[in-house]
Amino acid sequence: MSVELSKKGLILSATGLAAGYDGRAIVSGINIEATPGKVVSIVGPNGSGKSTLLKSLVGVVKVLDGSVKVGEKTITNMPPEEVAKIGVGYVPQIDDVFPPLSVKENLEIGGYLLKRNEIHGRIDAVLEFFPKLKVMMSRKAGKLSGGERKMLAMGRVLMLSPSVLVLDEPTANLAPIVATQLLEEYIRGFADFGSTVLLVEQRAKAALRISDHTYVLGGGRVVLEGAPGDLQNNPIFVESFLGGGAALRAPKE
Amino acid sequence: MSSFGFGLISAAVLAIATVGFTMQFAVTNVLNLAYGSIMINSAFVTYYVNEHGVNAWVALIGGVLTGAIASWVLNRFVYTPFQKRNLAPITVVIVSLGIDLMGTFGLQAIVGGGYVSFSQNQGREFHFAGLLLSSLQLIVIGICAVVLVGVHGLLKYTRLGKAMRATSANKNLARNSGVKTQFIISTTWLISGALCGLAGTVFAMNAGVFEATSAQLYIVLLLAAMFLGGPGEPYGAMFGALIIGLSTEISAAYINPDYKDVIAFIALIVMLMFRPFGIFGSEKTN
Repeated sequence: MSVELSKKGLILSATGLAAGYDGRAIVSGINIEATPGKVVSIVGPNGSGKSTLLKSLVGVVKVLDGSVKVGEKTITNMPPEEVAKIGVGYVPQIDDVFPPLSVKENLEIGGYLLKRNEIHGRIDAVLEFFPKLKVMMSRKAGKLSGGERKMLAMGRVLMLSPSVLVLDEPTANLAPIVATQLLEEYIRGFADFGSTVLLVEQRAKAALRISDHTYVLGGGRVVLEGAPGDLQNNPIFVESFLGGGAALRAPKE
Repeated sequence: MSSFGFGLISAAVLAIATVGFTMQFAVTNVLNLAYGSIMINSAFVTYYVNEHGVNAWVALIGGVLTGAIASWVLNRFVYTPFQKRNLAPITVVIVSLGIDLMGTFGLQAIVGGGYVSFSQNQGREFHFAGLLLSSLQLIVIGICAVVLVGVHGLLKYTRLGKAMRATSANKNLARNSGVKTQFIISTTWLISGALCGLAGTVFAMNAGVFEATSAQLYIVLLLAAMFLGGPGEPYGAMFGALIIGLSTEISAAYINPDYKDVIAFIALIVMLMFRPFGIFGSEKTN
C-alpha cells in the first residue's frame, strides 16, 4: 500500500454476544475474533443475522448480552460516533454514502473528527488509493455507479485511518470484475498492511479466497468456523455454499 | 404591478420562515406544526421590547432569541422524549399541533385579543421598475437576502452545515463517521428557531397590525412552500416561498383576498399530482 490509509490493527472480539431489536435477539451466543493482518469473514444464508451481528459490533444495534472489545477497550453498546473515534471504520451494506452530498463532502464528513488542517491531506491520500474518485469530486454521491459508490464508502471510512475495518457485503450489486478487484486488491491489501478486516460476504467462494479465517452463521448462531481450506473440505459447508444445497440451520440446543 | 410588489414582500417573509421550517424538518425529522405559534410569540416579545423604547430593529434580537430558545426547549422537553419512545412520526405531528394551539391561545390569554403594532412607520417610499416599496419592505427583502445567502453559506461551506446535511441524509452513517448527531440536531433547533423568531417579527412588521392569532393559518403557506420546493430541501424552500408568495398576492388582486390561502393549496395539490416529491426534491426525499 503506497499510502498509509489505515493503522496497524487491533483485535476485535465478541464474547457470548446476543443482539437484536426491541429486546428480541437476532443473533446469540456469538464468539468471534478478528485479528490484525488478517481478513476474517462471516458467511451465511440470507436472514442468518450477519448484518445484525456487524451492526451490534459498531454500536448501531443494541447488544443484549455478552461483550465487544477492541484491543483492551470494551465497546459494548458504545455510541457509533465513539466507536468511530477509537478506530473502527464501518461500511454498511446499503445507505453507505450521503447521496445529496458531493464526493468531496462525503470524504470531508468521513474526516469529521480530524483537525481542519488535516482533512485535505487525508483526502489526497484517499484519492491516491482510489484515483477514479479524483475526477468526480463535485458529483453528488447519489449519482455514482455501484462500484464508484462503494469506493467512496470505503474512502469515507479510510479518512480516519481506522485500525479495524468492518465491511458489510461490500460487493453487493457490483459487477463481478469490480467485486473481485475490491476484494482481492483493496480489502486484502488492508489486511496485508496490518489492519484488522472483518467482512460479511454473500459470495462465499470469493470470501474464502481472500480470508484467513471464516465464520459461518446460520439461524443467528455460529455453526461452523475455520480456515478456508478446512471449510472447503467440510461437506456441510460445501453442500450449503459451494454446491447450492440446503441452507444451514443453527444446531439444536 | 402593486400585487407583484406585495407578492415579493410576502415571498421574502415566507422564504425566511420556510427555510427554517424545512431545515428543522430535514435534520430533526419533526414536522413542527407549532412553528406558526412560535413565530407570533416571538413577534410579541419584539413588540414588548419595542414598547419599552427600544428601536424595533434592535428589539428584533429579542424575537430571534425567543424563537431559538422556545424551539430548543420544545425539542428538548417535548419532541425528543416522544421520539425516544419510538412512536409513529404522526404522534409527534399531533403533539406539535397541540403545542401550536396552546402557544397561540395561551398567548392570546396573556396579551388579550386586541391588535397591536410596532412604534415605527413604514418609512420612505421608493419607486422603481414600476414597484412602490417602503423602507421597511426593502429592509425585509434585504434581511431575506442575507438569510438566504447565510443559510446557503452555512450548509455549503461550514463543517456544521455539512454535518447538518449529512445528518439529514443518513443519521446512522453520520454517527458512524464520528458526527455527534444529537448535538447537530440541538443546534439545528436553535438555528431554525432563530429563523422562526426572525420570520415572525418581520411578518408582524410587514402586516403593520397583528394579534395573537395572526399567524395561525401561516402554517398552511409554510407547508405549501415546503412541499412545493421539496420537503427538506432548503433551496426548494426558497423557490417554493417565491411561488407561493407571488401566487397568493397576485391572485388576491383578482379574487376575494380571503381565498388567497386556498390558492396556496391549489398550487400545492397541482404540484403533488405531477411531481409528488417537489421541484427540488428527489423520490427518496419523498
